[in-house]
Amino acid sequence: MEQQPRLVEDHIRKNKRDTVLICMFMVVLLFSIIFAIGFVLGAPPIFVMAIGLPIALIYIFITYSFSIQSVISAAGARPANPNNREEKLLIYKVDEMAVAAGLPTPKVYIQDSRDINAFATGHKAEDSIICATTGAIQQLNSEELEGVIGHEMSHIMNRDILVMTVTVGVVGAIALLAEIAIRMLFWGGGTRGGKRDGGGGAILIVVAIIFIVLAPIFSRLTYLAISRRREYLADADGAYLTRNPEGLAKALEKIKADIPDDPKGSKTVAPLYIVNPFKRALRDSIWSTHPPLDERIRRLRAM
Amino acid sequence: MDLITLLIILVVVLIIVIILLTFWGIYNRIIRAENRIDNAWAQIDVQLKRRADLIPNLIETVRGYMKHERGTMESVTNARAAIMSAKTPRESMDANNMLTGALKTLFAVAENYPDLKANQNFLQLQDELTHTEDKIAYSRQHYNDSVLFYNNAIETFPGNFFAHRMGRKAREMLQIPEESKAVPKVSF
Repeated sequence: MEQQPRLVEDHIRKNKRDTVLICMFMVVLLFSIIFAIGFVLGAPPIFVMAIGLPIALIYIFITYSFSIQSVISAAGARPANPNNREEKLLIYKVDEMAVAAGLPTPKVYIQDSRDINAFATGHKAEDSIICATTGAIQQLNSEELEGVIGHEMSHIMNRDILVMTVTVGVVGAIALLAEIAIRMLFWGGGTRGGKRDGGGGAILIVVAIIFIVLAPIFSRLTYLAISRRREYLADADGAYLTRNPEGLAKALEKIKADIPDDPKGSKTVAPLYIVNPFKRALRDSIWSTHPPLDERIRRLRAM
Repeated sequence: MDLITLLIILVVVLIIVIILLTFWGIYNRIIRAENRIDNAWAQIDVQLKRRADLIPNLIETVRGYMKHERGTMESVTNARAAIMSAKTPRESMDANNMLTGALKTLFAVAENYPDLKANQNFLQLQDELTHTEDKIAYSRQHYNDSVLFYNNAIETFPGNFFAHRMGRKAREMLQIPEESKAVPKVSF
């Protein structure tokens, strides 16, 4: 790579800043919807804050605390067996990439699936897990597997796992709150709203309702955009770790040619996989968790 | 005391605090970067030892099969001895490159011995030696990244201002052998 070597530590610092900004943005979004709901229902803002905010935060906290467990069980993953040669070589690869990144070695898991895929999970580098499918360790050669593991190691290095679980939590909380609010409006919210004097108040209420309806869609789109951007970043950083963009490019080509027939895992963690296990998303769309494979391969080859 | 004097005192104190904080930050940054290099070197050292420890086992396994390859085995043993007796990072890395070359020859020669290639113990050792070799290469890469980070920290402003007074000089990177960059990795 002729690009100027990036310094991992500077890079991590920048990512931490990004992470904080994204988390803050998500919290602001959450605050806004709670306020909007309170406004529409005619409840006093302090009351809304006292009830809505703790519920939302507890929801996020629970999502966060159980994220590792739920990801692993949704994927049906098991710890890699060092007595099996293919799995041992995977453990070796993860170990090597951890050394390259200067991070503690993650635990290695295997997901029994014919598809070629891999994902990373964990709250921080110390308790992280890298999981690859049996399809990946059987069909990818050493160089390609290294590219894939480098990509996953970058997700850990960039704290994408944290960002993704928190964003998933907020997106879920917003969807939940909006759902509840819309139902309440149907049942009896109208009478409460009626107490307000018409004119300006009515317009504000309509605006708030529109916001409540749109917020879940908007938060989901934000989350998907973050996911796609972080995917490109992980590709680039993975290539920086292996010093070999071609390895990952070849792996992605193999994945592209491979027909997915064995999707497993949970949809909420789909962004943590190297490619979305549920749909290959070759075309670009605002609803994709990952950028199109062709574009990712093109960018890797251009490095 | 009037307001203006108070304000001036406040500003002066603030400036001093900022300067101290900056100094503190830069000092810590340099020390952290230095520790990272030492840590990265310790990693390499552990892997070098690990690799050297595997060699007697390998020779033991191979000896029974390769009776006529004394020279190949000897160069492996010699390279191992060189690793064990190396004192500076440069000597260690040179010895390591020597061992990499010797092992490459040995594994190439092993291709001619089907019985040896079927030996589970040999296969296991081969995997593990390849792994330690890759790990050394990646630790070396991490070491060089760390050195680059450190050198940038002490050679650019404002770090250079302090580094000089702290008696810190730029560190040297480990040479990466040309062939290891060019040769594609062997597929399993």
